[in-house]
Amino acid sequence: MENKSTELIVKNLKKHFGKNKVLNGINFELHEGERVVVLGPSGSGKSTFLRCLNRLEEPSSGEIYLDGTLVTDKNIRKIRRDMGMVFQHFNLINNLTVMENLTLAPLKLKVMDKNAANKRAHELLKHIGLSNKADVYPASLSGGQKQRIAIIRAMMLSPEVLLFDEPTSALDPESIGDVLELIRELADRGMTIMIVTHEMSFAREIATRIVFVDKGKIIEEGTPDEFFNHPKTPRVREFLKKVL
Amino acid sequence: MNSILIMGEFMNKVVELFTTPQYIESMLHGFLLTIQISYFAILLGILLGTIIALVDIAKPSKWLAIPKFICRAYTTIIRGTPMALQLFIMFFVIFAVKGFPSIIIAIIAFGLNSAAYVSEVIRGGILSVDKGQTEAGEALGLSGRTIFFKIVAPQAVKNIIPALGNEIITVIKETAIVSMVGMYDLNMAAKDIGSGQNMASYIVPMFVAALFYLATIYLITFIVRRIEKSLRKSDSRTGD
Repeated sequence: MENKSTELIVKNLKKHFGKNKVLNGINFELHEGERVVVLGPSGSGKSTFLRCLNRLEEPSSGEIYLDGTLVTDKNIRKIRRDMGMVFQHFNLINNLTVMENLTLAPLKLKVMDKNAANKRAHELLKHIGLSNKADVYPASLSGGQKQRIAIIRAMMLSPEVLLFDEPTSALDPESIGDVLELIRELADRGMTIMIVTHEMSFAREIATRIVFVDKGKIIEEGTPDEFFNHPKTPRVREFLKKVL
Repeated sequence: MNSILIMGEFMNKVVELFTTPQYIESMLHGFLLTIQISYFAILLGILLGTIIALVDIAKPSKWLAIPKFICRAYTTIIRGTPMALQLFIMFFVIFAVKGFPSIIIAIIAFGLNSAAYVSEVIRGGILSVDKGQTEAGEALGLSGRTIFFKIVAPQAVKNIIPALGNEIITVIKETAIVSMVGMYDLNMAAKDIGSGQNMASYIVPMFVAALFYLATIYLITFIVRRIEKSLRKSDSRTGD
């Protein structure tokens, strides 16, 4: 019973770039329906942590399990379908229209036929109010529009977990609200989410658990209330003093 | 008075060049050879250059260690030595066989030379595609093949086309040095038609040869611009 609800298990994850040790043994579990916000100072390794989960960065050592399956080089492509990712810089494919961006993966991975993919893409576009943008190229969109499309692109494959790597850091204040609104909605629908962000108030509002990373290690975790109101470690207290 | 005489003589030469079938034939013959060498050399250059570039940017592995080294050495040597010397080596050392068609030797010489430059152009074009584009494909679970052909290559082409156009132009003009090994190209035709007479007779054929080169290159520039323009449609910020 409890086993079933554990989506992701990370065991002693380490990553170094040459001599630079970025992750120094991360142990972590993510349960179904959880919304974990990863906080930490810049350079703490929080983005690298996220990127190691779907192997955009190759971990130096350690193990990652998704739904009980050990993530390896061999099965990574299949794993990635179940682990959607949203990037800081949106990364919509420049040479493809919005529609093509949305349907490329479902069609290439043969999870949907063309009609089904188009139908789902149109539904999602309509849902975020961008139906009229289906046939334009990303260059003509605003940052907020791009990011919302990037989010529904990740949703096209109905992943089990959605990873957000600083989804609002490259946006203007007005667009941030739109993007957060969409993430909030996914959260309300029970999506399992992991977010690296600097938006403290959003973190407090949306997270079921906060994870604080410093120098490549998780040094504190807890509910938003515990974390923001009763921090246990001096390091977190110091951090909160600076950012709040 | 004097200048009118020279002008008159010049005009006579122009008329002579364009009314003597033998001269026109020589000119066109030379032009045809220039085009033939350029055309096939460019094809060879693009084909080989693409292969070199792909080997060069492929992920390092033990299978590719030697091919990668060869490609590096190849581009270094080709780009580090004069084209004219490479042409001489081809003609007088490697293909010093009697009766071997010189046009083939020239095509190989220019093709091999161009490949080194084309490979750099293609390599640069591919590497200039934003890494986030590849990562987006990876994060969606797409295969390396799909990522390359659907995402990276189309964007790289946009970066490659202008520089490739430049390389094509360079090859066409550079083929003029085949006259150094006695081939009758456009450059040689100009010299040949003018020779054996007074200095004024050189002016017209060389001027006409220059126009032939210029027109060809202008045409290519025009075509490349058109291709660039059509490739840029996804950059448009106006909507559609």
